[in-house]
Amino acid sequence: MRKSFLALFKKDCRMLASGKFFLMAIGFLALYTAYVNLGYIRFMQMPPYNVYLYDPAGTQTERSSLVQTVPSMKAMDTALLADANGVGLDASAGDVRVVIYTGAKHVDRHRTDYALSLLHPSDSRAPAVLGRNTPKQKARKEITCELLFFELAAVGFLGIAAVLFKEKGMGVIRVHAILPLQRNLFLLSKLAVFLLSDLIFAALLTLLNVGLEDGGAVLPAVLIQTAILSLMMALVGLLCALLLKDFRQFTLAYLIIAVFAATPVFLSANTSVKFDWIGYHPFYHVYMGLKNAYFETAISPIYYVGSTAAIAFLFLAVQFAFRREIGKEV
Amino acid sequence: MRGLNYQLKSVLRDKFCLMTFLLPILAAVALDFMGSIDMSSLGELHFGVLEHDLSPQTITWLERYGPVSSYETPDRLTAAIKEPSTNVIGVEADGDSFKTSIAGDELEIFQQAAATLPVLYERREEAEQAKILMLKRPDILESMQGIFIPAVMIVAMFMGCTFNAMNIISEKEDGVAFVNEILPMTPGQYILQKVVVGFLFGSLSSIVTVCICFEMSWLVFAAMLALILLSSFVAALIGLFIGRFSEGLMIGVVYIKIVMLLFIAVPLVCALIGVSGPLAGICNIVPSQPAFDGIMALSAGDIKTAVKDIGILAVHGIAWSALYILIQGAPVKAHLHNL
Repeated sequence: MRKSFLALFKKDCRMLASGKFFLMAIGFLALYTAYVNLGYIRFMQMPPYNVYLYDPAGTQTERSSLVQTVPSMKAMDTALLADANGVGLDASAGDVRVVIYTGAKHVDRHRTDYALSLLHPSDSRAPAVLGRNTPKQKARKEITCELLFFELAAVGFLGIAAVLFKEKGMGVIRVHAILPLQRNLFLLSKLAVFLLSDLIFAALLTLLNVGLEDGGAVLPAVLIQTAILSLMMALVGLLCALLLKDFRQFTLAYLIIAVFAATPVFLSANTSVKFDWIGYHPFYHVYMGLKNAYFETAISPIYYVGSTAAIAFLFLAVQFAFRREIGKEV
Repeated sequence: MRGLNYQLKSVLRDKFCLMTFLLPILAAVALDFMGSIDMSSLGELHFGVLEHDLSPQTITWLERYGPVSSYETPDRLTAAIKEPSTNVIGVEADGDSFKTSIAGDELEIFQQAAATLPVLYERREEAEQAKILMLKRPDILESMQGIFIPAVMIVAMFMGCTFNAMNIISEKEDGVAFVNEILPMTPGQYILQKVVVGFLFGSLSSIVTVCICFEMSWLVFAAMLALILLSSFVAALIGLFIGRFSEGLMIGVVYIKIVMLLFIAVPLVCALIGVSGPLAGICNIVPSQPAFDGIMALSAGDIKTAVKDIGILAVHGIAWSALYILIQGAPVKAHLHNL
């Protein structure tokens, strides 16, 4: 049994290599790493509002060093136009007048009050810091988690399906009906190959983008979550490959997953936009499991029970579909 | 014309293919119903307080700046502050004033806000007297939902690309591509037949999407139509390129993913960050950027920008088809020589 499993495993690896699956994974790894290190970290910065003061008479003597003075109203207009989040203070007519471009109501009030407070600065009290991550660490963990999820749920999933459809098209699945092998070995070797490649991918992505020290600390937890997600996606991919007629039909199933499953999950999990119904979304829990692993937050045991049950259920479904598929041949 | 008939027939038989084109329309309907997604809260400050800790006046004052949530126990408050997806600032009473707490991983702007909040509270009376001149922002969206609808439309237009690429790849795998090469057909005819199907369905589904999401005048509709037709055409052409350069299904899928990512990411990033200057010009190389920009301009009622974007798309259409005819011609000859 072990020998035949190894033979199947080797065959699957060769098939993936010839389908350029590994090459694609390495390509995406390079792309993601470049994006995180060269792009994302730079985008995710939001300095405090710039405050521009026009004060020809020099009345505002106490002002904080954060206030930038401008020589004329015209200069202030250009500054504000280029930096629509900035706040202009016009002290030329005695009383200070605030000039801003309107945005969200609450933010406008805060910008205004903040700018005025800079004219008479007093010691700001540093807030208590409760967490351990710096903004940079958080940004790295967050984007790595998103990319890993995207890779496993979307790109990897598509790769799995492409390989399986090829096998189906060539009739390999039906050949297994007459091979003297245990039926489950076919499924298990597929799962093992994809699991292994996903785990290696996850480890490399985490270490390269979160950093050796931080990434190493969260790696065991991340790998457990990766295994859960990878098994689920591989099983869903197998199920699609067995049930759907051809690859084109599969792209529809894929689009539904990509558009309807991923978007609300990303919104709810990463921004302050929260939907009431998101708790019923299965992907949300899987994504939060991954995210909690990155941020070292405790994960409830109910989640593990639920995901194990889901994997078991999917496996049974795949087994059933597989038997039906080879049954056509016997 | 007869070739076109065959193409259409084969597409209409494939129900899944038709559903692919219906998908963006479904998404548009869903967006229309879910119009209540409130994205304006993204840049706001959020405060977390303990129940019965701060005075009602202080809470009312905090609510001037953003929503306030109250938590029963300090543990829950701490968990809410640490939660990485939000930027909750914890506020706890401290004598006459209060003290703030943060997770430490927030963007600088939120850290600064937390640090200065007690000062703002002490100055609250002065601040209320200030005179404020509100200027209207020239090119900012009322809400983030304005970005979603063009994004769905980009996906709708993109359908033609996916379909064409898949179509050509499956022809390649079935060997029909070789038959095509020796048929008495000019590159122009070939392109026309292949493009038309993806183009027709891509633009149809975008038009329906537009009708669901926007209410507009005839002039705006005409401009929108031009945008849709041109960008669906370009998308269908790009589908031909992908089909041409991918050897198998797998590689084709990778190409489609990359192109789809670029198509959606470039305009979204440009819109969110507000790219300007030469970089904005470079972004126009991705055809979805002028399409997205044009749709945004039209939803804001800016016809002039839309006309500029229509021009850019027209250039795209001409350039891509010329390029395709150029590369299409070469291998056919080579192949015939081999024969």
